[in-house]
Amino acid sequence: MVQEEDLELYRSQLLDLRSERPSRSVRGLLDPIQVYVNERRVGELKGAEIEATLHVHGVDHIETVQLRTEDGRLLGGLVAPESGFRTARVQFSADTVELCVQNTVQGGSLSAVFIPAPSFWNRTWTILADIADRWMVRRPASTMAYGIRTVAFTQVLLATAVIGLVADRVMIWIAPEHIVAPTAQAEALRTASIAEVEQLAKQLRELRLMQTKVGDALQSQEKGMTLLHQTMARLSSTQESVASSVVMVKEEIEKRQESTEREADRPVQLPVGRGVVDQEQFETAIHGLAADNERLSKQIAGLEEHNRTLTAKLQMAIAHVAKAVEQNPERVVAREADVARKHQLVPVADSRQNTQAQPFLFWVTFSEGTTQESIDQWVNGMKGHKGSLNEGWQEVQIIPPPVPPDLFLEQIKGDKIIKEARLNH
Amino acid sequence: MATMQNTLRKSHIIADRTATVSRLEEVVATSDEFDQVVAQALPILLDRAAGYTKRFLRETGQWNDDIEHEKFALRWGSEYLERFLVCGRTEVPCRPLFLFDSLVAKQHSKPEPFCYHPDLLKPLGRFLDGLVARAVVSRDALIALYHHSYGWGAGDVIAVTGLNGLESQRIYKNFRRWRESGWQRTMDEIGLTKAELVELESQRQRQRQRFNSEAERLIRVAQGHYRKSEPDHYPCLSRSQWGEMFSQGYGCDYRIWHLALCLDCMQTAWGLGSSESSAEKPRLELQVRP
Ligand SMILES: [Zn+2]
Repeated sequence: MVQEEDLELYRSQLLDLRSERPSRSVRGLLDPIQVYVNERRVGELKGAEIEATLHVHGVDHIETVQLRTEDGRLLGGLVAPESGFRTARVQFSADTVELCVQNTVQGGSLSAVFIPAPSFWNRTWTILADIADRWMVRRPASTMAYGIRTVAFTQVLLATAVIGLVADRVMIWIAPEHIVAPTAQAEALRTASIAEVEQLAKQLRELRLMQTKVGDALQSQEKGMTLLHQTMARLSSTQESVASSVVMVKEEIEKRQESTEREADRPVQLPVGRGVVDQEQFETAIHGLAADNERLSKQIAGLEEHNRTLTAKLQMAIAHVAKAVEQNPERVVAREADVARKHQLVPVADSRQNTQAQPFLFWVTFSEGTTQESIDQWVNGMKGHKGSLNEGWQEVQIIPPPVPPDLFLEQIKGDKIIKEARLNH
Repeated sequence: MATMQNTLRKSHIIADRTATVSRLEEVVATSDEFDQVVAQALPILLDRAAGYTKRFLRETGQWNDDIEHEKFALRWGSEYLERFLVCGRTEVPCRPLFLFDSLVAKQHSKPEPFCYHPDLLKPLGRFLDGLVARAVVSRDALIALYHHSYGWGAGDVIAVTGLNGLESQRIYKNFRRWRESGWQRTMDEIGLTKAELVELESQRQRQRQRFNSEAERLIRVAQGHYRKSEPDHYPCLSRSQWGEMFSQGYGCDYRIWHLALCLDCMQTAWGLGSSESSAEKPRLELQVRP
């Protein structure tokens, strides 16, 4: 009887534990999130105030992914599909982890991105970026997506401001109808509208100034985040590979020492030392950072170019407005609405075209003994073309792949003729 | 009269259960709906998972009709339920009951779904199995294993594993959380009662040597099983390999994980961390309290 009570007590205790909502679990602000694949620990997301990424790639299929706090509570996870993709967003307090799992015949891969709770500025941007998102074709979450969204956001900010200004004008133009006598209306509008247009032009200049400032702030913050993000990812992968390569190197040395004892006269080539590997990895990381800088400045240039186009279009719209006011005051409202609609749509369509037209660049090295013919065949197979060749690395341009860049690179690495693949030389 | 009321109440309960089960068999379309439907059915799902675990133990010749085995089945049923609650909501649309059944079946089709050993069902074994199992999913518990195995504090752990400043801060946090809530939660999960804990503590004080040698035998069983959850590339190392790792200052995670979960490597790597090399090699000194 005592035993039965004991068992019933245990059962209700377990039920209490299970009915706690996982989101209620307390995670310290700077505490890392433990990542488990197939119930085996694979690493952690050092989630503080910056984005952090963890990539896992293995020959085994991924069955489950779990995220846990340091105290062991399950924050979230997903069951991976037999083959193909699955993504999930795990939200706890204000932070988010985006999981993306893929299973192929070659094995499984996981990318987990920690997105911290936004700071004040981040929140402001996110609200505006959400406006941008509504007009954008969402691409799968990737490091590129952030940049694209930022560009789109700036454009939409401008478009929103323009609509705001136009609406403001319309209100001013509508209002006189109710107070001014019909005979006086045309004259009043003519004088008023010229002044208005001048004011509009002035506001436009201010707007451009403001936009430049916002753009600058955005770019510098984005650049900083990208750099930090990449440095973190590279450092952690360096650490990982160093740890595992040391074990391998140690074993190798031992094996070789054994064989040296047996065949003392045979020369032994020692494997590459840890220091060398380390330094090489760091050099690669620095190269990568430089290339990223370059890519960002290209994006900025593109953004500026686009703003110029937009401004020109706006000035054309103002000219139309001025004419319309002089010709027919009654039609102003309708025409204004037209202009507003046009402007609302312009940046969206443009940014979409930009996104699609931008080729995807990456670098590869080929396995030894690969012929030029099979390289060409491979490039053609991807409907791409070759770019420059640098220290054995071949640049390849293709239309953007449907999967995130990191996963795409992992996929190509599975090709027989590819030795290495990466985003930046 | 009382009997009639009882019968009436029982039939009500049965009717409720039937309704809940049939709701679980229907398709849920969203994660929120999943949460809602499943939250009302926790007792049913727990009993169901425990039932499957019981059947698995029976079929593999590991069952005995006693409270220890019942508790074991409940504990694993509860583990499966936890995973189902979190992962199932990403599987929508689905029929929760069938998803749950397939999840449990998948667990039971693995080579060793849990660490079963008759001696691990007794209080001392349950305590050790629970600690080591928790260490696999909780870093707090992993660090606490050093305390429970050797009686060390945060400073000792940092010295023995040769950690740097940044990692050290984390160890103090791990210790604090474990004392505040982690230990109690783990005891609740494995169902060790206050009386059982008091009894363990008094055994530890009365028959120190016997207690510790029995604990060492059992913790080896548990460590051997749960070490499989370590990353693939964390095998046992020789002293010179450990020495290299300590002196070069890499493999922090490796050291923390493997040394906590391997008595032998702790002996092998002893003295590499810092100045404690003159002290005697550590022996298992099991601590019950955090
Ligand atoms: Zn070991």
